[in-house]
Amino acid sequence: MERTPQIKVENLSKVYQMGEVQVKALDDVSFEIYEGEFVVILGPSGSGKSTLLNIMGGMDLPTSGRVLIAEEEITKYNDTKLTAYRRDKVGFVFQFYNLMANLTARENVELAAEICKDTMDIDEVMAEVDLSERKNHFPSQMSGGEQQRVAIARAVAKNPLLILCDEPTGALDFKTGILILALLRKINKKLNKTVVVITHNMAVGDMADRVIKMRSGKITEIKVNPEPIPPERIEW
Amino acid sequence: MKKLDLRLLRMIKASKGQFISVVIIIMVGLSIFISFSTTAVNMRNAIDYYYEESKLSHIHVQLMRIPQNALNEIESMEGVTDVQGRISFDVPLKIDDKGEKVTIRIISMPEGGGKVNRLYPGETMDGLNQGKTILIRQFAQARNIKPGDIIQPYINGREHSLKVADVASSSEFVYLMENEQTMMPANERFGVAYVAEEFAQSVYGFGGSYNELLIRVKDEDMIDDIARKLEERLDKYGVKRIVKREDQLSNKILSQELLGLDIMAAAIPVLFLIVAGIIIVIVLSRIVSNDRMSIGVLKALGYSNGQVLLHYLKYALIIGITGSVLGIIVGLVIAGAMSEIYAMFFEIPLLKVEIHYIYIIYSIVLTSLFCMVSGFMGARRVLGIMPADSMRPEPPKSGKHIFIENISFIWSRLSFSWKMVIRNIMRTKRRFVFLVMGLAMAFAINTIPIFMWDNATGMFYIQYGKFQKMDYIIGLAKPMNENVIYDVKGLLKVGKLEPRVEYPFEISNGLKKLNANIVGVPRNTMFYEFRNEYDEEVILPYKGIFITEYMAKALNVKKGDYVRVRNFIPGKDDMYFEVKEVIKQYLGVNAYMDIEHMREKLTEKNMITAISVASKDDVKTKLEDIRNISFVNSREDMTKAFEEYMDVMLLSINIMILFGGILGFALIYNSTIISISERRMELAALRVMGFDKREIFWMLAKENFVITVISILLGIPMGTGMIYSIADAFNTEIYSLPMIITTRIFILAGLSTVLFVSIAQLAALKKIHNINFIDALKSRIS
Repeated sequence: MERTPQIKVENLSKVYQMGEVQVKALDDVSFEIYEGEFVVILGPSGSGKSTLLNIMGGMDLPTSGRVLIAEEEITKYNDTKLTAYRRDKVGFVFQFYNLMANLTARENVELAAEICKDTMDIDEVMAEVDLSERKNHFPSQMSGGEQQRVAIARAVAKNPLLILCDEPTGALDFKTGILILALLRKINKKLNKTVVVITHNMAVGDMADRVIKMRSGKITEIKVNPEPIPPERIEW
Repeated sequence: MKKLDLRLLRMIKASKGQFISVVIIIMVGLSIFISFSTTAVNMRNAIDYYYEESKLSHIHVQLMRIPQNALNEIESMEGVTDVQGRISFDVPLKIDDKGEKVTIRIISMPEGGGKVNRLYPGETMDGLNQGKTILIRQFAQARNIKPGDIIQPYINGREHSLKVADVASSSEFVYLMENEQTMMPANERFGVAYVAEEFAQSVYGFGGSYNELLIRVKDEDMIDDIARKLEERLDKYGVKRIVKREDQLSNKILSQELLGLDIMAAAIPVLFLIVAGIIIVIVLSRIVSNDRMSIGVLKALGYSNGQVLLHYLKYALIIGITGSVLGIIVGLVIAGAMSEIYAMFFEIPLLKVEIHYIYIIYSIVLTSLFCMVSGFMGARRVLGIMPADSMRPEPPKSGKHIFIENISFIWSRLSFSWKMVIRNIMRTKRRFVFLVMGLAMAFAINTIPIFMWDNATGMFYIQYGKFQKMDYIIGLAKPMNENVIYDVKGLLKVGKLEPRVEYPFEISNGLKKLNANIVGVPRNTMFYEFRNEYDEEVILPYKGIFITEYMAKALNVKKGDYVRVRNFIPGKDDMYFEVKEVIKQYLGVNAYMDIEHMREKLTEKNMITAISVASKDDVKTKLEDIRNISFVNSREDMTKAFEEYMDVMLLSINIMILFGGILGFALIYNSTIISISERRMELAALRVMGFDKREIFWMLAKENFVITVISILLGIPMGTGMIYSIADAFNTEIYSLPMIITTRIFILAGLSTVLFVSIAQLAALKKIHNINFIDALKSRIS
């Protein structure tokens, strides 16, 4: 049976004007991602992966090309529609967690959920990321791994179509990083959410259903993993 | 509660000091608005009601003598509803203390109190008959005279005993002042005693006639018209003055006071709101740039631009609402106290303290508007923050050369730390501009009370030390031959005496006219010094007239023009005189002439109405038993009264200075705290390099010092402007502030500004102590 892709990226280009120099962050990029897939976009810094993620997340607009999410062309959206798209369809996880310092863990999750219509139960989500005991703590009272789990809960609670993660383990030590990846994988499987992780860490690619490798704004390889390994077995 | 709102509240809690300082400014500004407006409206309502209840006259006519039967003719004039005649004379009162001279105005009253200028409470007027008097309340209270006591005025040279039947208030004397020259009330030295009409007519030989008329009209718009007609109709009865209600002394001072309240109620709150607005802009733009990444996250989470902007606008709005609510509460409390204070100065029996909700609504609307606009100005950068960009660290502020660096003459002479100070100021130009504007305003506010103080004092001492040098003016009960001077001279062993003629006239130029006394003094007067507009001393001419600046402005005449003097003395024609000089006079409005010329043209030869005296002798005691003296004005008494008055003024001056101080404090406190938090990393780096806390403090202090100096320089023209407009608003016939703006004013205002700035800096100092420089250097992530 022919599957329709959930995310369809077609001939995407992004050119930044830096003073008098033109920088091509994305150069004619095309690929597809299917519902429920765990996708890792791999590339060194400056390869354009963050720009790609930002455009897929409705935070930035391309210079040319299209992005279709569930057959909707988000690259045609105006500001209002993009805001609504980010609100209802996307959950973000950032490298530096970016929690509100003066809200507790649970309040940070509620902050994201309270503007969406069809959200998940906050306490269930907190339990899912194993933070039921710590939910009334402020970010400053938590470890990096805990903060990143709050950030994941914040992304998941919205009940989005896809979860986009920008170097989610970049600021964490190896052990904590693995735990976070395992958590993302669990959410991917259990809730059947599409998860896109961008990272420069090649080893992470082994756990993905699909790996997209980038360099200098171009895709160098797209690989489908028939048998992804569990995150616990990754090493770097 | 919405989590975003919760975040806001925690944000406010984390920066309480800043929040509270702005709230206080709004609170102070609004409490002034509420209390002053409420008091002004309550006073106006009470006074309107009181005037109507007591049937206060619309026109008050003073004349030589008018027979009773002529009143019917006036009453039949179109628009006139009531006419009442009365007899009124100022006479001395016998007092135990010989050194004290007390004047009492004896005013006749028809049986039952008549139809015009009724007393309050009304029933007091029933007990008035032969040998009794009703005393005005302020005077009775000041001298502790009770019903049943006896007072002994010298009427027409004879001592009379009058039993005080009752004490009452009159709407004609809400502010009890003898005349325009007295400047401030002295309730224990001037009183009013109402007596039965027959009594007054018999003691003065005024059988069947009056020397004053009280007229009420149907429509207040007709007052001018009727007054004009009265002038002609009453000409034959020797009209001295026709006083319209707007010119009536007590009413005029009251209106002046209310106008002052109106000006203060409008100007001060606006200044406070502007400064509050400036701080909100500075604080919010700082918060927004601090929150850059959080704003990006919110947008990434799907919060719209509007929602995020509103989040920050709410900060301004909460400040505004908290400030207004507190300001309204405090304002209403002050309004109550203020009304009580006014009740002490003005006798308004029906004064009620009411809350006027419209001012509360104004306050909230005005404050919200101010806060929203300044909130928007501070937070609008929220709109430009792109979620994707905000995740990346902000590029460092572009370090640019500033224009001063091009002036190598200056720049090369500056030490390194001064260069840094100046660059830092220039780095945040917008904030610098706002800060300087606010601080200049705080400084300008401080110049006003100092100016008022200096000039009220100056006004008094110049008038009564330089322009008029006599120690006493002895007023005669009626015009007398100038030989009376020799009698007085005989009584006073030492001293210099000079004759004086003073009569009220109507002085006009075309349709513009003014009632004022013309004073005749010898050309070579010992006691008067006349100075023209250019402050040059001028001598009275043989012919022609000197008029005071206020009169020149009111009549729109200048040196060389002619004015018409309308003569009330029967048989004397109106005369034209050339204005020889326009002279300075700060208290009262007069014209001056050579006494010989004046007597020849306007009054009678050899007659005088008063004597000016300079003597160290005990003039009051010596003249105490002399008939035909209606008053003795002494400079000493006036000085005493003036100094008492200035004691009261000192309080309001201190309050004004405190206001300016609060503004200066809040501005510097906030900007310094922001400056510290913004440059945490930079300051921490300096600490690591070995600067100590005190050196860092001095670096910030230098920045504030530069800002303060620039603000003061800018504040000088601003303050001068404010002084001019305030002095102009307060110039009246009763007094005009001399426009003497000295450097002293600016030095004192500058010192107080510097003082409050220093206090604010010290308050912000502890934030430097709180910088943990290792933390600050680690990262910018929360």
